Amino acid sequence: MEKLKDALDFSDFSKAERIGLVIFSVFLLVFPLLGAGSFAKTVMIQFLLFSLFGMGWNTIGGYGGQVELGKAQYVGIGAYTVALMMVWWRVPFWISMPIGILIAVGYSFIIGYPLFRLKGHYFAIATICTSLVLKDIFDNWNLVGAAKGIELPIHDHPDFLYMQFKSDTYYYYFIMALFYIGLFYMNWFRKSKLGYQLRMIKDDEDAAESLGIDIRWCKIKAYSIASAFVAVGGGYITVYNLYVDPASTMELSLSIKIALMAMLGGAASLWGPIIGAAFLVPLDRFLGSWLGGQKGLTGIDFMIYSALIIVVSAYQPRGIWGIIEQFRKRGH
Amino acid sequence: MLIADALLQGILMGLLFALVSLGLTVIFGVMDIVNFAHGEFLMLGMYSVYWANFFFHIDPLIALPVSAVVGVLLGLASYYWFIKYLLRGPAIAQLFGTFGLMLFLQYFAMFLFSADYRMIDKGILVGKSLSVGPFIFDWTKLAAGILSLVAFAVVYYFLHKTKTGKALQATSLNKEAASYMGIRTDRMNAIAWAIGGGTVGMAGGMLVNFYYAYPMVGILFVMIAFACVALGGFGSIKGVFFAGLLIGILEMIFPVFGHLIGSDFLGPHFKFTIVYLAYFIIVVVRPQGLFGWKN
Repeated sequence: MEKLKDALDFSDFSKAERIGLVIFSVFLLVFPLLGAGSFAKTVMIQFLLFSLFGMGWNTIGGYGGQVELGKAQYVGIGAYTVALMMVWWRVPFWISMPIGILIAVGYSFIIGYPLFRLKGHYFAIATICTSLVLKDIFDNWNLVGAAKGIELPIHDHPDFLYMQFKSDTYYYYFIMALFYIGLFYMNWFRKSKLGYQLRMIKDDEDAAESLGIDIRWCKIKAYSIASAFVAVGGGYITVYNLYVDPASTMELSLSIKIALMAMLGGAASLWGPIIGAAFLVPLDRFLGSWLGGQKGLTGIDFMIYSALIIVVSAYQPRGIWGIIEQFRKRGH
Repeated sequence: MLIADALLQGILMGLLFALVSLGLTVIFGVMDIVNFAHGEFLMLGMYSVYWANFFFHIDPLIALPVSAVVGVLLGLASYYWFIKYLLRGPAIAQLFGTFGLMLFLQYFAMFLFSADYRMIDKGILVGKSLSVGPFIFDWTKLAAGILSLVAFAVVYYFLHKTKTGKALQATSLNKEAASYMGIRTDRMNAIAWAIGGGTVGMAGGMLVNFYYAYPMVGILFVMIAFACVALGGFGSIKGVFFAGLLIGILEMIFPVFGHLIGSDFLGPHFKFTIVYLAYFIIVVVRPQGLFGWKN
């Protein structure tokens, strides 16, 4: 009960932020009723999905300050668990998704234990390596469809058990619900003991250790929470696309996108990943369809995208939220 | 027989891997930065020789200095226009910054050159081979190996015998103390980036003789380079040389073993998986690498 109260309690934010949250929530709720086209809906779904990913990454990458670049492997685990259980045993989504989370968390403990002996660059590269190893295995494993991936059987009628719908509106509300669960969880997390411990570790590991914090265990816990988050997103991707393959769920670029959105928005802040996703997903999509589709302009969308990363990392490493806070301080 | 052949081919590949990794380890040693865009320097080195060959019909071997110059300029430009500013921020921003640079160069190449796979098919060395007893070596790979040895010798001489090289080493040992001694550390960083870019550019110029150039080619080689640098010990020149050889041999010999025991799991699909796994195991078990001294 106490935890639930903490999760729903936004009172330590400024008034502007709380009003912003309410307006944002109302907008999310009525968005499908505004008569938006299917393209806009896809963009919104992607935005909510990547916000969810980013919030997960924020636990270990933002609050914990560990540069984690291998989240895609857990997206893949979540996605493949749902897909395989559905194809092999016709297990409903609501059973296979929690199992996917459990597998992701279990796997993250196994990987995390050796991984968190490492720091800084060593750690960052090692996370990429683990993710690529898993992708290579899935790319060549015939049992799970290898590089071709697996297609889910499509049901004739909308089915809540398997989360299959004809209309994107249902998928939209579903991911929105997941997004809010994630948001409330993160709101609790930042005030939890682990949240404070992680921030202490980020500021000064030696000091944290001298206060009796088990650094490695804290990091592993945060890492597995992050993995659970992205595994949920992975399960969602499966039922949304009705198709899963290593290229769309385990690619290195997905790991990078997840981390970048949170970083760009502002790591270690509740709003950061949401702002980052709100900024980059539409940019990515619109640039992609507007510029990338034209002949002779392939790649220019990502050039703009990465130029943005370059500028932000050089001038405001705390991201867009850092810029906002800077302006706010100047205002006072 | 098969194994001996794989061993020799592995050594040749390993020399090239070592050359690719040389710049990465120099940059890391001097300024503690991991350059994710290193593979893209390689890619642009490949393209520079390819286009010199395509447009001006310069032989790929003679066009090699072009790729070296392109590499040096890239290194200097990235340092002065970008990395310098990154140094003020936290480590996380540095990682993402070079990551951004990597993406930018990849898509820049895609924009300019399209995603086509390109390889040089004519040249003094291309397609010719040398047979020694039962073994057959491609001249292109032999030349790459020789170039790698020369490059290592030059860089080693430069670091240990020249005044600038010693200043560079002093900077890598202790930046602050070095700057008190009147060493301009800013310039030392730039020199490290120039060396890094130049050597990897040349490696690219050699590689394009027997490997396809395409915008995303860098990521594969940068991962191999990370494994080499980690195995050699971050910042160690001697280490990265032997680590490159070892990784080259591993990469060639595993598929052969797999072939011998009839297992698909060690097959060619997985040869880079082994490299990633090797990196992971090395840094967890022995973070200082074979010859490293930095923690």
